[in-house]
Amino acid sequence: MKQVSPPLLQLQGISKSFGPLLALKDVNLTIQHREIHGLLGGNGAGKTTLMNVLFGLYKPNAGQVILRGQTIHIQSPRDAIHHGIGMVHQHFLQVPHFTVVQNIVLGSRLHNRPTLNLTRATERIQDLCQRFGLEADPNAHIIDLPMGVRQRVEILKALYRGVDVLILDEPTTNLTPQEVDSLFESLQRMVAEGMSVVFITHKLREVMQVCDTISVLRAGEHQLTLPRTQVSEELIVRTMVGSDIDLDESILFAATAPQESSSSRTGPPVLDVQGLTLTAESNTPQVDDVSLQVHAGEIVGIAGVAGNGQQELLEAVLGIRTADRGQIRFQNEELGHCSTRDRLRRGIAYVPEDRVQDGILPTATIAQNSILGVHDRPPYSQHGILKWPIITQHAQHLIAEYHIQTQGAGQQAGNLSGGNLQRLILARALAQPIQLLILHNPTSGLDIPTVEQIYRQIRQRRQEGLAVLLVSDDLDELMLLSDRIAVLYRGALVGHLQQKDFDKYEIGRMMSGVYNHV
Amino acid sequence: MSEQSVVLRRQGLGSVFQALVPYIVAVIASFAAAGIVLAVMGFNVPRAYATILFTSFRTPNGIIQTLIKFVPLVLQALAFTIPLAAGKFNIGGEGQLIAGAIGATTVGIMLAGWPAPLLLPLVLLGGIVMGALWILLPAWLLYRFSINEILTTVLMNFVAFELIDYVATNIWPDPVAGHPTTIPIGAGGFLPRLIQQPPLHAGLLIAIFIAILVYFYTDHTSAGYELVATGANARASRVYGINVRNIFFLSLLLGGAIAGLSGAIEVAGVHHRLIAGIQSNFLLLGLIIGLIAKGNHLAVPFVAFFIAVLEVGASAMQRTLMIPGEMVFIVEAFILLFVLLSDVVRRR
Ligand SMILES: Nc1ncnc2c1ncn2[C@@H]1O[C@H](COP(=O)(O)OP(=O)(O)O)[C@@H](O)[C@H]1O
Ligand SMILES: [Mg+2]
Repeated sequence: MKQVSPPLLQLQGISKSFGPLLALKDVNLTIQHREIHGLLGGNGAGKTTLMNVLFGLYKPNAGQVILRGQTIHIQSPRDAIHHGIGMVHQHFLQVPHFTVVQNIVLGSRLHNRPTLNLTRATERIQDLCQRFGLEADPNAHIIDLPMGVRQRVEILKALYRGVDVLILDEPTTNLTPQEVDSLFESLQRMVAEGMSVVFITHKLREVMQVCDTISVLRAGEHQLTLPRTQVSEELIVRTMVGSDIDLDESILFAATAPQESSSSRTGPPVLDVQGLTLTAESNTPQVDDVSLQVHAGEIVGIAGVAGNGQQELLEAVLGIRTADRGQIRFQNEELGHCSTRDRLRRGIAYVPEDRVQDGILPTATIAQNSILGVHDRPPYSQHGILKWPIITQHAQHLIAEYHIQTQGAGQQAGNLSGGNLQRLILARALAQPIQLLILHNPTSGLDIPTVEQIYRQIRQRRQEGLAVLLVSDDLDELMLLSDRIAVLYRGALVGHLQQKDFDKYEIGRMMSGVYNHV
Repeated sequence: MSEQSVVLRRQGLGSVFQALVPYIVAVIASFAAAGIVLAVMGFNVPRAYATILFTSFRTPNGIIQTLIKFVPLVLQALAFTIPLAAGKFNIGGEGQLIAGAIGATTVGIMLAGWPAPLLLPLVLLGGIVMGALWILLPAWLLYRFSINEILTTVLMNFVAFELIDYVATNIWPDPVAGHPTTIPIGAGGFLPRLIQQPPLHAGLLIAIFIAILVYFYTDHTSAGYELVATGANARASRVYGINVRNIFFLSLLLGGAIAGLSGAIEVAGVHHRLIAGIQSNFLLLGLIIGLIAKGNHLAVPFVAFFIAVLEVGASAMQRTLMIPGEMVFIVEAFILLFVLLSDVVRRR
């Protein structure tokens, strides 16, 4: 009798609900031996939830997990790792002041617990780095490492525990193109050594580049699983977005160049920054003599590799940090020593990069979050008393208008998925009468329909005369939306391009500090 | 925190009951667990539990004992949960209580002859001011140097223990008492009685009023919103214009003031003088209440009342059944444990 070996891993009939919300509906997924399996889907589709079930973080309401033909019961991440299943979360936790080795062995079985001698562990890790092309210094401290390396550490952590299946939840969100390439190379080496990888993403290109098999989830339901060779980009996009967006009207997939801004840029600028300098405890300035204007009805983009002073610049403009030198004028008034509260009150709105840390109150409700920053203004509060019925109504209005997927205004904001969180933050900013909108990486980690929606909103507001300062690590985004682009390098603005002169390579050179003084 | 109350307000009785289920389960489980311990020790478990649960409601005296106990418990809990709402931990409630009691006694003795309409408010105010002053140093150290408030508030307790001994034995000692005690404060500083026999002082009304005020403040004012927001995410609160250092400072000061008030009420309502040990174990019970209530200011008074019932029942059990009253402490600890566990279960 011919024996067909069972697939590596089968998820059968998995359902999971959070209260009344059905996050997964009878999902079937099969992972074969030695494959990179792309799990694609819009935000809130249930990708993370499905993998959390597999990793033992959530208990499914129904369904089973079959590993090499045997039904297994995974109650906790420990069980999952015991069965050879490892996961790297999108927002992983590491101990910043521990070294790479210490972080990796943390929680694993140590051979010589009493002495805590990590020499053998270090050797093993170095070996893993070599084998899989994951460059990382085992003795470096996490806090000193860039995001790309921290992620490698997280992957090494799983490999160190000897997993056969590695789940990566949106691993490319914080990586540069070079880092993405090297990650893909490592994944291919893992597969060559007999492992399987589940690669969660919303980026079509990446899936097409690296995956052997592609599965699409939408609204908690499994849509399709096909070998890459049998799918087209168009099919995947249509499956992912369903009828949510009209591909012909899409900004993201537009064939033609964006229309020129209608602003004549006469009159005084809305925001006028002169010689802004901010020096940290170290001697190198974080913001170095930056001058910049934003007029009504224009989008000014700021490009730069992450960590070149973007956040510091924006926080100085908002008064969250105090500048050492320089002038900030808003609508012809010197902001000087205005508090952040005053600046917001005058008509500035801010959408910070770090949604969870800087953008929301995770344990508070959506209603409470919907008034953060305007909580002391009418109509949300009068004479210091909160008007809850009005606030709740306001929140429900935002939920409906911006398609925030949630059970209601009373839900905890911390449970929203990334895109819904961003919709909430953006909705909150745009709900007020403002003259200046400051955006920092407004679409990072978000799926196509959400990106479309946000681009549409920004464009429309620009048309209505809003001044927009857009800081982004994503060059494609900047070139798609901006009327002008300035480039930030080591805290200084090193270049300035008008829309007609936009050139990816030119901007890229400026971003790496190679530029001509004009 | 207040999101729970928003949900409660908006979803009616069914979900109120749903929110209560984990609490009910936790209480039953705790009693069951402690019952096993009692049974092993050879005690009559049903009688012990009947005593714990029903002493408070069987006699007028029981009810009044419970209400008297409720006052410092609810105030101590609030002294903990107000800073907690802002993400800060006031573990110095008993030091502030003692300081408040000293402040109240000082006013009450020095102005002993003054009439009640003047003296009583001043006695209470003396407590509030001293309580706030007692936390001023930790609050300032936090504001100025970001020094952890847990440590400093605890340390201030020890200073208070010394101070109360000094005041009761050296400044206004009562020579006939066998225990460090001061002479009584002026009769004008006594809290009026709501019921004469058995005596129930008007501090109960003050405590209820404060509990309502705090709930209103944290859940229905924009200033309270800033407190809750800061506790939920200080970083984001700062980004959106809230001065979080001020909020930290203010929340601690409010907690200290309320703890100080609880000390003044113990003096003006119960003892009419300063007695070493006046703080009892109110701090620990206050923390337990605050944590069981998960900082929800709507729940704090109810949890405080329940704990007061257990406490009164515990002393009765000790008197009549010779079972150590500390058993109730174990029950309370179990309840806290199970309530916290129910969170973990629900999250999965
Ligand atoms: N712990 C949770 N509690 C309540 N709802 C949740 C929780 N985790 C996820 N959800 C909801 O489940 C749905 C699927 O989320 P998720 O799996 O994170 O999507 P994806 O990873 O595909 O973006 C979303 O609507 C999300 O809001
Ligand atoms: Mg996800």
